[in-house]
Amino acid sequence: MRHALSPLLVEAADSDERFILLSGDHGYAVFDALRVHHPDVFVNVGVAEQSMIGIAAGLCQTGFRPCVYGLASFVPMRVLEQVKIDLCYGSLPVVILGDGAGLVYSILGASHQCGEDVACLRPLPHIAIYSPCDAHELRACWIEARENHTPSYLRIGKSHPDDIHSGAVQGTSPQIVHEATPGSAKAVIVATGAMVRSGLSFARAHGLRCISVPRLKPAPVELIPLLGDADRVAVLEEHASTGGLWSLCLEMLQATGTVPSPRVEAFGLRAMFTATAGDHQHALGEHGLDDEHLARRLAAWIGAERPLNERTGRN
Amino acid sequence: MHYDRHNPAAPDRDLLVLSKGHGVMALYACFRELGWIGDDDIRSYLHNGSRLRGLSESDIPGCEVTSGSLGHGLPVAVGMAFGLARLNSRRRVWCIVGDGEMNEGSMWEAMLFAAHRRLGNLTVIVDANGFQAMGRTDEVLSTEPLVAKFEAFGFATVECNGHDLPSLTAALTPHDAPRHAPRAVIARTVKGHGLSFAAADNRWHYTRLDDATRAAALEELR
Repeated sequence: MRHALSPLLVEAADSDERFILLSGDHGYAVFDALRVHHPDVFVNVGVAEQSMIGIAAGLCQTGFRPCVYGLASFVPMRVLEQVKIDLCYGSLPVVILGDGAGLVYSILGASHQCGEDVACLRPLPHIAIYSPCDAHELRACWIEARENHTPSYLRIGKSHPDDIHSGAVQGTSPQIVHEATPGSAKAVIVATGAMVRSGLSFARAHGLRCISVPRLKPAPVELIPLLGDADRVAVLEEHASTGGLWSLCLEMLQATGTVPSPRVEAFGLRAMFTATAGDHQHALGEHGLDDEHLARRLAAWIGAERPLNERTGRN
Repeated sequence: MHYDRHNPAAPDRDLLVLSKGHGVMALYACFRELGWIGDDDIRSYLHNGSRLRGLSESDIPGCEVTSGSLGHGLPVAVGMAFGLARLNSRRRVWCIVGDGEMNEGSMWEAMLFAAHRRLGNLTVIVDANGFQAMGRTDEVLSTEPLVAKFEAFGFATVECNGHDLPSLTAALTPHDAPRHAPRAVIARTVKGHGLSFAAADNRWHYTRLDDATRAAALEELR
């Protein structure tokens, strides 16, 4: 997905003279094309994320449409208060790109891993939050974020070589990426970001409906009708379940008065820091979310009963 | 400073950024004189439902930023100056900060950027009263020597008596300022200046006037 970002930045610079990209000394090759085609549009503010958000706000107030880029651990996490006061209070249309969200930087450890950004941003007024699963959703989210008159956050997680969608995605509403086969269990998988790939894999194998949720705020209430008559919903995310999509699903079910409400199970990051180095799958494994663990947990979920030790992993 | 007294949002105005948002009462007094806020606003200040709050809020005409959480205004001001410079605008940005506020790391980040980008359209005014919330700045976390630090960070820096209008005016409008460096004015002030019972007494950071002190204050200021 990361590779898909570069042309979007160039297109924005081609079409909008107000566009300006600020980076806190991160990104490297992501900006190669932009720096070649629009060297003045790329501004490296240095290792200074706090002031970067303020500078973006000031640029916005003088007519520019800034986009700020950083690793999600730093932008928006490190600069949460700047996002709140400098951007959200004035509802300034700045797009925040948080790259490497989740456990992407598995070998670097806790400082570069980020499983709480969505939970921290969701209560802030005015900001829109996106969590695309592939290049097609990224483009749809980017277009919408650039059109918003408010701050927007794009959460960019693990890039996988294959796209989920076969073609362009229209809008940012929840997308059915796999339809249930007749006679299958009354169970639906709901996922966001990089975990859509895992959910889709299991859904294909077991004939379940799988839904990708690229926009997390404003609340994707269109999701609720898509759950149909499911009595079980599994929510997959490379983010803490608390405050993430799992919480969001429960809130939306409650707010819409959905009766009977399905049982909503959390398959997200546990409230713990990763303990050891390793590749991305290894890091996910510590949270029970690597492909092997997740398939086993989901199989138990659609079965009659889940092993007791699997129930204790929730945040 | 260039502004339109009939329109606080005039598109060609200079931008005054109050980074030390707790000084907003001084701005309110100016805005009242300009007619940007009314007597009703002043009378209802801090009362239930008043739009005037205790810190700078950008929805008040004339307040360019929301500040009070310290360390925010200067980075935004630097972004404004950077944007105006990119537009080749003649508009200037003036940013008032506190010496206590200089404890915040984001201030120094912004200063690095301003000097690196040679933002000659930016003037930072440090209200150097030597106090911050919990005591004297040189006892809590010293930010001195401010002149040497601003100069070391690439600012054309002058020091002046912040209560002396000719001195302050000369510092703010230098004839020999470099065009491609941000400026800083270290304005030496006394907290509570003008009120003998409150001057340089940090209790007045927290204390409100009662009827007796209000009468005494008005008498001294008359």
